[in-house]
Order: sequence, then C-alpha cells, then structure tokens
Amino acid sequence: MIVNKISVLIGGEAGAGITRSGFLFAKACLRGGLHVFGTNDYQSLIRGGHNFYIVRVDTEEIYSQADTIDLLLALNRETILLHKDKLVHGGGIVYDGEEIALNDEEMDRDDLKLYSVPLKRVVKELDGPLIMRNTVALGATVAILSYDLEILNAIVRDAFKPKVAELNLKAAKMGYDYAREHHAEESTYRLERTSLAGKRWIFLTGNEAVALGAIRAGCKFFAAYPMTPATPLLHFMAPLDREYNMIVLQAESEIAAINMTAGASFAGVRAMTATSGGGFCLMSEGLGMTAMTETPVVIMLAQRPGPSTGLPTYSGQGDLRFAIHASQGEFPRVVIAPGDVEECFYETMNAFNLAEKFQIPVLLITDKYLVESHGTAKLFDPNRIGIDRGLLLTADAYAGEEEYQRHKFTKNGVSPRATPGTRAAIVRTSADEHVESGYTTDDAELTTKMTDKRFKKLDALTKDLENYETTKLYGPRKADVTILGWGSTKGPIREAMKLLGKESPTINYLQIVYLNPFPVANVQKVLKSAKQTVVVENNKTSQLSSLIREYLLMTVDHEILKYNGRPFNPMELLQKIKEVL
Amino acid sequence: MSEDSHPFERFLRDGMMPHIWCEGCGNGIILNCFVRALKDIEIDVNKVVVVSGIGCIGRLSGYTNTDSYHTTHGRAIAFATGAKLANPELKTVVISGDGDLFAIGGNHFIHAARRNVDIQVICANNFNYGMTGGQYGPTTPLKAWTTTTPYGNIEHPFNLVHLAAASGAVYVARWTTLHVRRLTESIKKVLQKEGFSFIEVITPCPEIYGRRNKMATGIEMMNWFKTAAEIRNASDPAEAEISPEKIVVGEFIDAEKPTYDHLLREMMKQVQERIRGEK
Repeated sequence: MIVNKISVLIGGEAGAGITRSGFLFAKACLRGGLHVFGTNDYQSLIRGGHNFYIVRVDTEEIYSQADTIDLLLALNRETILLHKDKLVHGGGIVYDGEEIALNDEEMDRDDLKLYSVPLKRVVKELDGPLIMRNTVALGATVAILSYDLEILNAIVRDAFKPKVAELNLKAAKMGYDYAREHHAEESTYRLERTSLAGKRWIFLTGNEAVALGAIRAGCKFFAAYPMTPATPLLHFMAPLDREYNMIVLQAESEIAAINMTAGASFAGVRAMTATSGGGFCLMSEGLGMTAMTETPVVIMLAQRPGPSTGLPTYSGQGDLRFAIHASQGEFPRVVIAPGDVEECFYETMNAFNLAEKFQIPVLLITDKYLVESHGTAKLFDPNRIGIDRGLLLTADAYAGEEEYQRHKFTKNGVSPRATPGTRAAIVRTSADEHVESGYTTDDAELTTKMTDKRFKKLDALTKDLENYETTKLYGPRKADVTILGWGSTKGPIREAMKLLGKESPTINYLQIVYLNPFPVANVQKVLKSAKQTVVVENNKTSQLSSLIREYLLMTVDHEILKYNGRPFNPMELLQKIKEVL
Repeated sequence: MSEDSHPFERFLRDGMMPHIWCEGCGNGIILNCFVRALKDIEIDVNKVVVVSGIGCIGRLSGYTNTDSYHTTHGRAIAFATGAKLANPELKTVVISGDGDLFAIGGNHFIHAARRNVDIQVICANNFNYGMTGGQYGPTTPLKAWTTTTPYGNIEHPFNLVHLAAASGAVYVARWTTLHVRRLTESIKKVLQKEGFSFIEVITPCPEIYGRRNKMATGIEMMNWFKTAAEIRNASDPAEAEISPEKIVVGEFIDAEKPTYDHLLREMMKQVQERIRGEK
C-alpha cells in the first residue's frame, strides 16, 4: 500500500474543464494536509485537442511533477492512448467504460487496473451538463483512493455557486458510491488526512503570486494586452482593481501597455505590465524610453518557446538574452528570475522597490511552466519586504532652492523625482537625450554626462544588490557536481537532488535569481570551489553559460538543454546529469 | 512683471527661444493659440501636462512652462492615457503631428477615442513628415508631391475629423492656422471639457511640403487656406473635404458621453461599497 504519494493525470479535450478539475482535486489534497504540485498542458485551442493536468501529492514538500503517473483520469479515449505508457506498473485508469471500449491490442498492457465508472450515465441521471463528468470522476477517485469525500465536498462548495455546487455534490457522491461498490479494495494507493490538515498553506500559480506581490507592493496601475502565458495575470488582476483602487486596463497592444504604464508611473503611481516574448518585442522601444526618461516600471516577461508565435501554450527559457539586451542603446536595468511561487511574490515586491529606488525598468522573467503551474507555499509574509519609493517627492510643492530639474546630476546618478502637478516644479522629460531640466539636447558633452549619470545608477544598484539574495545555494557547500540554473528549472532540479538522496556523486545547485546585473562575486565564489559544473536550461544555446563566460571568463563543463516546450522531469534530469559526468 | 515682458511670458520658456521651426511654419501659431487659451481660462497651469510625440510640432512641449513628456514616435496618446488615469487631477493635452498620431500612432488614437479617455488631442496637420525630410503621410492629398511620392501620391488620405468622430471623440473640430481666434476658442473649450477631444489644425509647411506643391512660402499656403476655407459648424464630418478648392473647417461635434475615467471611478466606488457591505 502506498500512502499519500501519488501522481494523478486528468486528461480530456479542451473545454472539458480539465484544469478546473485538476485544481479541485489538488485543493482537496491540500486541505487534507498534503503537499501538492499541479501543472497543466494544453494546446492553443478553445474546443477539441488534448488537455491535461497533473496533480502530484506527497507528505513532504515537492517542487515539480514526477516522471510517471500512478492514476489516470481519462475523460476521453485519447487520454488513455496518449498517457498509458507513462503509467507505473500496476497503475490505474478511471474512465467511462460505457462510452470507451478498450481493446487489448491497443492497450498492450495487462498490469493496469481499470476502474470503469459510468460518468456520462450519472450526469444524465442528474440532468446536468456533460462537463460535470469531471466531478463524477473526482468522486470516484476519492473512493478508489479511500480518501475523505467530505474534503472534496467542502472544496466543491467553495468553488461553485450554491445551486451549481448542489448538483456537483450529488455527482461526486454518485461517483463515489459507484466506485465504493464496484472498485473497493482494488487500489494500492491511498490518501489520508495528515496532521497538517487545516494548517494554512496556500496553493497558487506563479501568475497569482506575482499579482499578490504587485498588490502588496502598492501597484496602482496595471496595463496589459492578452498574451499566453501572461494572460492569467491580467485575468487575476482585473476583478481586483476595483477592490484595491488599482486600475487594470486591457490595452490595444503591448506598445500601448508599456507606454500607459510609463505614463502612470510618470504621474506618480507604481505601475506594471506583463507579456510574453512577442509582446515584449513590441514593448522594446517603450522599455528604452522608460530607461531614458528614468521612469520606473516593472515588466513581467513570461516566456514561451519562440521564435515568432512559437508554441503559444508551452514553456521555454529562450528570452534571457533578449530580456537583458532588449531595446536600442545602453542603459541599466534589473532582470530577476523567480524560481517558484514564493519567489514570484517576494521578488515582485523587490522589483517595485528597485525600480523606484534607481528609477529604472525592472524585468521579472518567468515562463509558462512557472506562472501557470500551481505550487504549495506557506502563507506569504506581507511584511518581509517593505515599500521603498526612493527619492520620490510627495510634497504638494517643491521646496528646493534651485529650480527643479528632473534629471539633476547627483553623486549616485539618482535624481529627486517630482511628479506632474507638484507646485513650484516643472517636471519635464524627453525620450530624446536631454539636459538636467529635461529639454532635448544633442550636445556632445552633455550626452556623455547624461549617459554616465544613468550608468552611475548601475554602480549604486550593484552595491545595493549585495543586500539581496541574488543567488541561492542548495545542497552541500562542497559537492562533486555543481548545477547552475535560473527560473523555473528550480523545481525539477531540486526534485532530481531529492531523488539522488545520499547516493554519489554529491550535487549542489546554485540558483541565479538576479541575472542582470550579473551577481559576479556570488557565482565566482561557488564556481571556484566547484569540481564539475553543469548548466541546466530550457533553451537551445545555453544563454546562462554564455553569461558565465562573459562575466567570469569561465566555461562550464556540461550543458543539459531541453527546448521542446516541456519542462524537465526530475528523473529524466537526474539521468542526464549522470550521463554527462 | 516688467513693462516690456510679453503677456504670455509665464507660459513660455523664453530661454528656449528662438524655436526650431522654419519661416512660414504654422506651429508657432498653434503654440500661440494654446498658451492664449491657457491664459484666457486662467487654468491652474500646475495641473497641465503637455505630452508630445516626435516631429516638428513635438518640440512644442519644450516651449511651454508646463510639466511635459516628450514620448517616442506615435506613443503620446498611450502615455497620456496612463498619466491621466493615474492622476485624474491632471489635464493631459497631447499635441502632435499627423504622421505621429495617425500613421505610427493611429491605433492609440482610435482606441483612446473609443474609450473616451479624458485627454485632449491637438493635431498639427501639415500633410507630410516635415522633420524627417518631407515624406508623404496619412493625410497627404492625392496627387501631391513629396520626397517619397516623386510622381504624385496615389494613396487616399484620412479625413481626420471623420475618423475622430467615428471613433467616438466627444469634441471634434478642424481649423487652419488662419483661424486663430476660432482655434483659440476651441482649445479653451476642450480644456474645460471632459472626454476625448480632438482638434485638427491645418498648418502650413512651405519649406518642406509647400515648395514641392507650388506653394513655396507661408503666405502662399495661408492664401490657399483663406480662399478655400469654408466654415460649416455642426456639419457632417464625413463631408469635411480638403481639396485645392475647398477646406471645410468648423466645430463638427460637441457631445456629452461618460468618460472612461468617470465610469472606472464609479465602478470602483460601487464594488468597494458592495465589499464593505459583505464584510
């Protein structure tokens, strides 16, 4: 009997409520005191095609999906045929045997347990919509895993409006009863409530964590154009705007979004936008304008595979160099890559502070896998990071003796920032090169001085970043192998380390959270004592390796690269690590 | 104020003079009408933000003694939208050219008008891209000669007032730089009006455009405006032609419609009250 350790895949066609069902099941496990990780896989379609959602459950903290599946909830035949080979030996399939006939030849496996449940018949009996088959399947799954139906019921009550919930509760109960009657005692997997049940863990996506971080940071303006996988951030923000006095505007394009964001920031509020690669292309010019006019903005760039429209609903890390270099000319910027939902929250708060302290654009670089997967986290500490608005002048009137100059030369390059409407201050700036007062200029000497002023901020910023966790080391301080990575590879890397356990070779992992300015000293310290180095990335050209070469004049020993739109699986990654050594 | 000082002195940045505009250019007239309007209505200049795009007229924001932001090419309206929504007390005036607002920035124009964001747009229409060397633009008349239409323009121009009206602007007017009094009145009106307002100002560009089209001086271009202009207030903007024989000017639309800003704040208030009620 395997207790509280399972990986469940729910699959069906687009529009069948797959992600929703997976989420409900995951919540039911979380509510029982278990750790959960949920990730989705869907195509760029509204109806049809194949979607699935994987819920992995464990008693200890987990950071990614597993390589294999223990139980398949198949809402159509395709799901079975596509995923049966990922099922472990002795795994099970919950499906509607009255609708799907399976023949031995195509199954080609006889070790699987088949749990047929009349999903469609139950829905018909209840006179409910076909989409409710999911709930019947969830009820049956709870019975098969000997779990507590009351927990699922509570989740259903939370998730639906009373009338809809009522019907779904009946559906779940009928599925549950059917499975109890027909499939009792068959499963080798069980789920049990643990002592952590009722403890306040949260289960959320990277997008949701970023949104919460932004709200907590006091963001008052968010403009974006829909683009997967950043769109859910817009969805999540939209209903919150009225509640938190935050303006959420769906712009006519990413060009508009970045310029509106700049406008709002110029007017004095914290402002943010979010997009994916294609949209970020359109934002590039505006990005440079915010740097030139020293207007603080935060941009989330959620990567998906490119070039061009690429794989709209899949994941990748091909835009690191793009984030670091986008826009013409040279200017300082910060590029932060959170690696899990907690970092999504806290680093978003950091992003706003850095943007305002140094009056620069700050990019949060994420990807589809991070922002759309659900992770378990301890309740966020809303007070861990304070709000620092830098040299923002909030007084009604400017009190300086000299005439106010928006781009005044200062020791560290940061100029006091008045906002329009401030009395006794003309707040003027230009996307063209400008003098201290903001007037356009093409003077040679001033151009040099103004460029230097902007780059002085980089020195101050680099110094300030010493107070931030720009890198994180996991595992022993000294190890046979040092893995380097950034962003969402964190989950699979940490899982791979767990799988390795106490076996040799010993592995440690340096997560680089701040990619620009590159945390040279921290990385150097670790690399100096590393025996063998392996960079793990979801791109073709190993962009992190090139940064290490650029900043440390060091070549990493091995690169493990995956660029098919899918995240690494832990065992797959561990095997690759062993192979390259 | 000394006796010799100009009545507009406090609105203008005299240190920036002389301006960059050519002899015979109408941009100075537009600047003049704008600051006269500011003075006449005794607006709190502290709350006025001038947002401009790229082009000859874009430099205007540098000459006024107001807060200002000179954006990249075409983005003035999007930028002003963000600024206005973030601080509703500001009066955000976008002053830019026909190429900036309707070629590269056309998308922002139609959407801001559709949303009825409370910003005021003044477009200096000189029928071509002056600053970059006289290329044809979205308002260049058919058959006109420009540096990039050496055999005459074969693209149909936009009728800007028709476009603005169709997109939802609550105030739409067209004047030429000859109509200084009416133009000033229009600017005064929009500065005191809520909603997306649009004023097209047909302005002479003798040096870059006129020269190639048999109007080599400002006087010649102004003479064209004088003989061709026909004031037709409240007429259908779809019929507001611009041709060698006729330039229809006037105030076409002056309507009331809830602004985006207003609807947004109303909704915020309602939702917050509901949430308080639930708590």
